[in-house]
Amino acid sequence: MPSYKLTYFNGRGRGELARLLFAAGGIEYEDVRVAGEQWQELKPKTPFGQLPILDVDGTMICQGMAIGRLIAKAVGLAGKTDLEAARADMIIDGLEDLGHKVLPIFIEKDENKKAELKKEFTEKTLPPALDHFEKLASAEGYFVGNSLTWADVNFFAFLGFMTGFVPGDHLKGKVNLNKVMGNVTSNAGIAKWLKERPETEF
Amino acid sequence: GVHCGACRKMSVYELHYFNNRGRAEPARLLFAAAGLPYRDIRIQSEQWPEYKLKLPMHQVPVLEVDGTMICQSVAIARYVAKVTGHAGKTDLEQAKVDMLVDGIDDVMTKKGDYVWHEKDETRKMEKKTAFYETTLPQFLSHFEKLLRTNNGGDGFLVGEGLTHADAWFLCLADDILLDFPDIFSPYPKLAALVERIRTYPGIKEWLAKRPQTPF
Repeated sequence: MPSYKLTYFNGRGRGELARLLFAAGGIEYEDVRVAGEQWQELKPKTPFGQLPILDVDGTMICQGMAIGRLIAKAVGLAGKTDLEAARADMIIDGLEDLGHKVLPIFIEKDENKKAELKKEFTEKTLPPALDHFEKLASAEGYFVGNSLTWADVNFFAFLGFMTGFVPGDHLKGKVNLNKVMGNVTSNAGIAKWLKERPETEF
Repeated sequence: GVHCGACRKMSVYELHYFNNRGRAEPARLLFAAAGLPYRDIRIQSEQWPEYKLKLPMHQVPVLEVDGTMICQSVAIARYVAKVTGHAGKTDLEQAKVDMLVDGIDDVMTKKGDYVWHEKDETRKMEKKTAFYETTLPQFLSHFEKLLRTNNGGDGFLVGEGLTHADAWFLCLADDILLDFPDIFSPYPKLAALVERIRTYPGIKEWLAKRPQTPF
């Protein structure tokens, strides 16, 4: 078993997927949270000057989804075949696309502009995306095959992050997606983490 | 080479995209490098409104594998790379490849932002300038450094052979060289890598015969 050290800011954001997956697999890891000067010192040592990073026995991996995929493989949540893995990957990428569209709202400081962006996002961008995801999730509540994969876990993580600054009952009427959320939160390791994890702003 | 010879060779691969290199080209390069046959479908714009309705996220590229549809260009290229043995040899190596691909994808998305999404001409030029004066040089210097950590940088991006990270890198290079032919002069190892990928068996032949499109 390799030794794992995850470094991110003190928030869920792009670090939470890794934490949820470690929890699902019952894998021990160091959950490092940095800010300010500590981050400025670390930044030039990272591959792209960004977080999260995952140190695996001294090898530094960056990029949230590359990290997520590596841990998913380690805990058996990456899909059972190459094709299943690809189906999981496409859900991950679809969520990334949605994330790109929601990030400007998170970053925007001007309250009026922020409200405008939120309105456009919730009325124009989010509904068709959730329609696609609803169709891609099975009636049993899995994006891939008939068991939990990191695609389901990332959907849960993304919803949690997004709802933090774009509040709303976004999954109302989405039968399959609500099942996905239930499958994730009823995973024993994840349920325990959700009770224990620090409360953070994002 | 192709893994699991018999079962892989019998799969039917169909790649749906427009008549562009765009986000389908990394997969095309990987098919070419392996000599793996596939249907290179190029959709006409008139067909698009109806065509997209049968696609998982109403977007292209889509790779159909014996009828199963995979969308999202990065997911597609990774799958093709796994089939052809260009994904990386261990989980950790694959993660290194993945992180480089994600980095390239980030940069391509930033470029796409001003090329396709910014309508205001002044803002467009501002963003283009910022891209070429700040974003891209920062990215390329990280990348040159990362390349050099792999056996001195005289091979491919990760491990011993071509991976989908190299395929993506060539696509980015093709794109940025159109705007600035000298973009790689501060990054000699990256410049040499581009040539190395261009002359890779299979890819070399594809580059000579592929449809010539502006992007």
